[in-house]
Amino acid sequence: MHIPDAFMPIWQGAIYWIIALVFIALALKWAKNELNEEKLPLVAVLAAGIFALQSFNLPVSMGTSGHLVGGALAAILLGSPFAAVFILTLVLIVQAVVFGDGGIVVMGANIINMGVIGGFVGFFTFKGLMRVTKSMPLSAFCAAWLACLIPALACALEMFFAGTFPLREGLIAMGIYHAIIGVIEGFVTVAAIYLITSVRPDLVDTGIKTPAEAQTP
Amino acid sequence: MMDNKTFIIAGIIVALLIGVVAVFMASGDPDGLESTALVVQGQKELTGGTPENAEIQEDMTDKFSYTSPMPDYALNEEMGPMGGLIAIIVGTVLAFLVVLGIAYGIKVSNKPAK
Repeated sequence: MHIPDAFMPIWQGAIYWIIALVFIALALKWAKNELNEEKLPLVAVLAAGIFALQSFNLPVSMGTSGHLVGGALAAILLGSPFAAVFILTLVLIVQAVVFGDGGIVVMGANIINMGVIGGFVGFFTFKGLMRVTKSMPLSAFCAAWLACLIPALACALEMFFAGTFPLREGLIAMGIYHAIIGVIEGFVTVAAIYLITSVRPDLVDTGIKTPAEAQTP
Repeated sequence: MMDNKTFIIAGIIVALLIGVVAVFMASGDPDGLESTALVVQGQKELTGGTPENAEIQEDMTDKFSYTSPMPDYALNEEMGPMGGLIAIIVGTVLAFLVVLGIAYGIKVSNKPAK
């Protein structure tokens, strides 16, 4: 759902950039306070992994393909929605500047959709569901699914304001396609969390207490 | 438990493997946003396949235009999959280095000066 420059007037792109910059500033503050030398490798490896996953367009039927976004994954693993803003912003810059994937003027909108909305929806869905269900796979799956669907609907709204899509058709098509893409996003997010927590449980800040941690006061 | 160095190397290898597989296996169909654009422009049915000749109509008046060095994750037509491989490897390593560099830069600037 990388919006290209052709899909939005410049003045609207500027508005989204201003909003995005507020969140980027908060994400930099997060990085300053929360990142330590132990966590640096996880953040950088996640960026490489998210870049690679985003380049993998999987067929989702109906003549459409989709790739993962990774906002929920970053936010859940690093324990903050700002982690998603931080990583996704930098990945989106590389994608737009080097590969022409997503526009430059509209990059603010892409950062808001995938980094901010994806990160916050993913993080708080995960937190909330963990409290109720105590199940990591279920919580992470739903978080990732919503973190794919809600940004797509936001994107459809932005496309309506930009005069590119009609409101109803845009919401329906974006919603249907990304509801399917979100299922793949859910499975891969759960698998990635399993994989990373099993090799480096110390790096992960999911808020899940392991039995050993629960015993120590 | 894996040490940091092993974790980074293993992580980059996994990322590169995903990228390499993507070059050969990725679907050529338009993504959700492009697909929606084709639907609203009447070139594609909502649940139908994408026609071979479908092309998104872009109105570039008052729009910004930028040409990237490696558009669409490829170098040029003649290089075929090789160009795609180089693009994915460059991108994955670049994403890693940019994030590592900025995160490290923030940490260094954060340390109080002696």
